[in-house]
Amino acid sequence: MNCNEARHHWNLYHDSEGDAELHFQISEHLAGCADCAEWFSQQSRLESILAEKLNSQPPTPELWNEVLTRTGLVQPAAARRWLWFAGVAACAAVIVVAVLLNWNPSPPPPSPDLAKLTAARHERLVAGEEIPQFESRSDLEVEGYLRKRVSFPVRCPPRKDAGFAVQGAGVCQLAEQPAAYLSGRVDDAPVSIFVLPRDSLAAFPHQRDALRKEKTHRCREGQYAMVLGVIDRNAVLVIGQTDPERLEKVLSAYGTYPDHH
Amino acid sequence: MRHLAPLQGALEAYCRRSLHDPNSLRDVLQSAIANAYRDFHLYVEGTNFRAWIFRYTHLEMLNCNRKFARTRHEELPADLSVEDVWQLALDEPLFKVLLDDPDAVLDQCGAALAQAVREMASLERAVLLLQAIGEFKYREIAEILQVPIGTVMSTLARSRVRLRQRLVQCGEELGLLRPGQTRGEP
Repeated sequence: MNCNEARHHWNLYHDSEGDAELHFQISEHLAGCADCAEWFSQQSRLESILAEKLNSQPPTPELWNEVLTRTGLVQPAAARRWLWFAGVAACAAVIVVAVLLNWNPSPPPPSPDLAKLTAARHERLVAGEEIPQFESRSDLEVEGYLRKRVSFPVRCPPRKDAGFAVQGAGVCQLAEQPAAYLSGRVDDAPVSIFVLPRDSLAAFPHQRDALRKEKTHRCREGQYAMVLGVIDRNAVLVIGQTDPERLEKVLSAYGTYPDHH
Repeated sequence: MRHLAPLQGALEAYCRRSLHDPNSLRDVLQSAIANAYRDFHLYVEGTNFRAWIFRYTHLEMLNCNRKFARTRHEELPADLSVEDVWQLALDEPLFKVLLDDPDAVLDQCGAALAQAVREMASLERAVLLLQAIGEFKYREIAEILQVPIGTVMSTLARSRVRLRQRLVQCGEELGLLRPGQTRGEP
């Protein structure tokens, strides 16, 4: 092997690629050629420094915390801290109250109510106080938008199935649980569909317990009717100021068509 | 999570160096992780998770760059053989000066280096960064980018030469490299 041939294969040699025979031949050449040995050494040193420069930044904890929280892989740090402080504060409060009132336990704080939270957000969407993060009348476009933003599967029922005409979508947090929503209409009535990972129901004991008793849970919150069900890996809630039968039809449509309709 | 934690630095660095729009970093990582998590049932425990997650990240980064520069026509330059590109570098007297003392130039040409990477054709940049940051083997890079392994080899050689040429140019512009200069000479 001559100098040109050896230098031609520097990439393979430096990256420990190629076959053993080639490496052996290059090593033999370098052992007898001081110029090439120095050239190889200098090239490898430069490459190592370049790789180090390109990879010099450590990961940004805040960025990853936000990314993992938004994708639902971790609970928000603020929530974890809040839970810790809340736990400590609650224990301290219980002890103080028990001592002062000779153990007079007070009722636990109310747990988050999915119905209230979704009704409030639906109302803001209807009133135009909140604009969907993505506006489109295409169920496929809306699905495509949401798929990139949440870690759980989200679908959009096609209009022909239940009359739900989608107008927009977005992602949000409901009691610190990641959620996606679809905003649209059934005939003239504004209707929203909220989708959460099924595990998120643990944060909403009232709805979780209701779904243990019945497959589809119907309820009202103020002027809005809503139906809630578990479909595949999701909890799906449909809300609107319309007949619950129509909402249930949308819920049924959500779960009865294939992903690629 | 236990798979992902050790790779966060490399994934972030790969995106930072690749994205045309630095403001998209968070969205790209979020979409990539969400998609990978959605498809996690397809991942086989014990196989190459690094390559798997880098493929999702690479695809998201490509989508983002395409959206950012829809009208920009990004094309690989005419294909050069590996011999040609190395011969080109070898003929540069300034390059020999750079090889003698690379630290002086690299310390002051960080911005030029970053820009040179960003201005590379997308395949050249991806191959270079996957090798330098991801420390992948050629076969893994070929799998991530879905290109033949020969393309990885020639593209990597070419991208390395481009980077060296840009460093030489930067060193010359800053007066750090002069023909005939010897090691340690100011």
